[in-house]
Amino acid sequence: MRLDPCMKHKLVRKAVREFAEAELGPIAHDIDRDARFPWEVVEKMRPLNFFGLQVSRDFGGAGLDSISYAIAVEEISRISGAMGLCVTVHNSVGAYPIERFGTEDQKRRFLPRLASGESIGAFCLTEANAGSDASGVETIAVDAGECFVLNGTKIFVTNGGVCSLPLVFAVSDPSDPTGSSCVFVVEKTMPGFSVGEMEDLCGMRANPVSSIFLEDVRVPRENLIGGIGDGTKIALATLDTGRIGIAAQAVGIAQAAFEAAVKYSKERQQFKRPISSFQSIQNMIADMAVSIDAARLLVYRVCAVRDAGGRFGKEAAMAKLYASTICSEVASKAVQIHGGYGYSKEYDVERYFRDAKVTEIYEGTSEIQRMVISRWVLSESM
Amino acid sequence: MKFVVCMKQVPMASELPWDPKTRTLRRDLAEGMMNPACKQALELALGLGQKEGAQVTAITMGPPMAEEILREAIAMGAHRGLLITDPALAGSDTYATSFTLARAIEIFCPDFDLILTGCHTTDSETAQVGPQLAEELGIASAAYVDEVTVEGGTARLRRVSDGFLETLEIDLPCLVTVNTTNRSPRYVPLSGLEDAFGEVNILSVGVADLGIDPALVGADGSPTRIVDVTAPRSGKENVVLTGAPKKIVEELLERFESRISGLIRQDIRKSDAR
Repeated sequence: MRLDPCMKHKLVRKAVREFAEAELGPIAHDIDRDARFPWEVVEKMRPLNFFGLQVSRDFGGAGLDSISYAIAVEEISRISGAMGLCVTVHNSVGAYPIERFGTEDQKRRFLPRLASGESIGAFCLTEANAGSDASGVETIAVDAGECFVLNGTKIFVTNGGVCSLPLVFAVSDPSDPTGSSCVFVVEKTMPGFSVGEMEDLCGMRANPVSSIFLEDVRVPRENLIGGIGDGTKIALATLDTGRIGIAAQAVGIAQAAFEAAVKYSKERQQFKRPISSFQSIQNMIADMAVSIDAARLLVYRVCAVRDAGGRFGKEAAMAKLYASTICSEVASKAVQIHGGYGYSKEYDVERYFRDAKVTEIYEGTSEIQRMVISRWVLSESM
Repeated sequence: MKFVVCMKQVPMASELPWDPKTRTLRRDLAEGMMNPACKQALELALGLGQKEGAQVTAITMGPPMAEEILREAIAMGAHRGLLITDPALAGSDTYATSFTLARAIEIFCPDFDLILTGCHTTDSETAQVGPQLAEELGIASAAYVDEVTVEGGTARLRRVSDGFLETLEIDLPCLVTVNTTNRSPRYVPLSGLEDAFGEVNILSVGVADLGIDPALVGADGSPTRIVDVTAPRSGKENVVLTGAPKKIVEELLERFESRISGLIRQDIRKSDAR
């Protein structure tokens, strides 16, 4: 068992870090303040395969293993949580379901567009009455022969304002939501598809999270991923993968907060000494270091299990639960170490603090992760 | 055409601690990276290589972990890599290094048209290996080059020298050391990294493969001896002048008169005379 990263993974980290620090570093603060999606950076990310991290080479992706994928998401998130979010959602829940469950024709039609970043992906599951409970989905897909007619409203769609090829989760028979669940690839240009106002969120402000409205959207039958009734299965498998990305994102945000706190604690003088010389600060720094390391190892473990072809639902939930929990804790401690300055929007730790919280909420809340983990544990121990 | 880019892995942090006992950098404390000027040389080679349809070979001499920068070079677009690594090479100075590189190039890239190196490295800053390598190979060279174009058997080079823009022509094969200005090296594409760890051509060779007498390389074969290395000290000394104002002004003038411009100085002298 080797726990040190191999040469390839070290180089992936260096390559992504170099890009993120140079291109996102100077604007990360401003795009958060202005709630602006940085298309100019997306333009530069496209040829570097950031939008096809795990899409196979045949369809124009980089074909990376899961650990490389997690490292890439972590390093982008270390600089900008919102752009880390864009990349992980696009890759893990936008492109991956097509790669995993799509037909050859669907892969050929959609994956090159997603992998090149020409089209940004999204995953539209959450509704006013559905989120943690996927069976509450009310968006309806009526079979009209050559096409399905979709009607419904999706909320809190990450990448909502910029996506052009989202996946939409629906039911074809409201009386049997699980048995009739289904997933469609929808084109932004289809008549009846529209995007609502951008949400005014606490964090991840550079990501245009929005509602999506579907009004008599006629989606060709060949855009149905899997079959009718496969929706829940696809959603759950997709969310398992998505959780790896969010866990990696949480590690990246925590790492950024940690680095800022360590640097500041050495610079800030009180009582004629740097505050890092005080035991109370040292204790916080030690706890932060341990928890980030542990979270990162949990992320790499689930990636290793996934790459080996094993079932990784429990490991993904554990990594996501732990990484998001410590992300909030670390960001909170980083603010505490910065004192009043940490509470100011001038300092990046304030942004990390806001960005951190949502990692405990999306892609399955911490409560849902605990439910998933306990189910696995209880069924395994029988 | 065939281009060779010689590159070095250097420690990532610029303010690395150095060991006062051995008078060398504590390389074990840092991650390695491709020397920035070498990356510029690679970028120039890749850009020119795309235009000329050239094969680009990346060469490095260093510990086994230096393979990393060859993989990075391949991810960026180089076609093959040559790693020269051997415990016998440890401690080589610029003379022994250029000697070793020359023998490797003679064996593994004998039909090269152009060799590009960085103009200097961030860890030793000697700027010697490039020109010395050209001497070893008996070819023409130019240092601190900004731009290179190739026409027929001639390389046309541009560089800024003493405030003048020079345009030079050199017959191929030749060597240029590349400056760190005017170019933004391309980012590493992630698919390129995946390729760089697939079926790629990286050859690892030692002193025996190069037919070199080990006594001619490494610390034994290096005529350079580092006598002393010290960190430069910067700091200001505060001097408080005391006494009567007249005495203070006189002392100030004594210390700084040469730096005070003419008219002000005259004014001060006039008022002083009154």
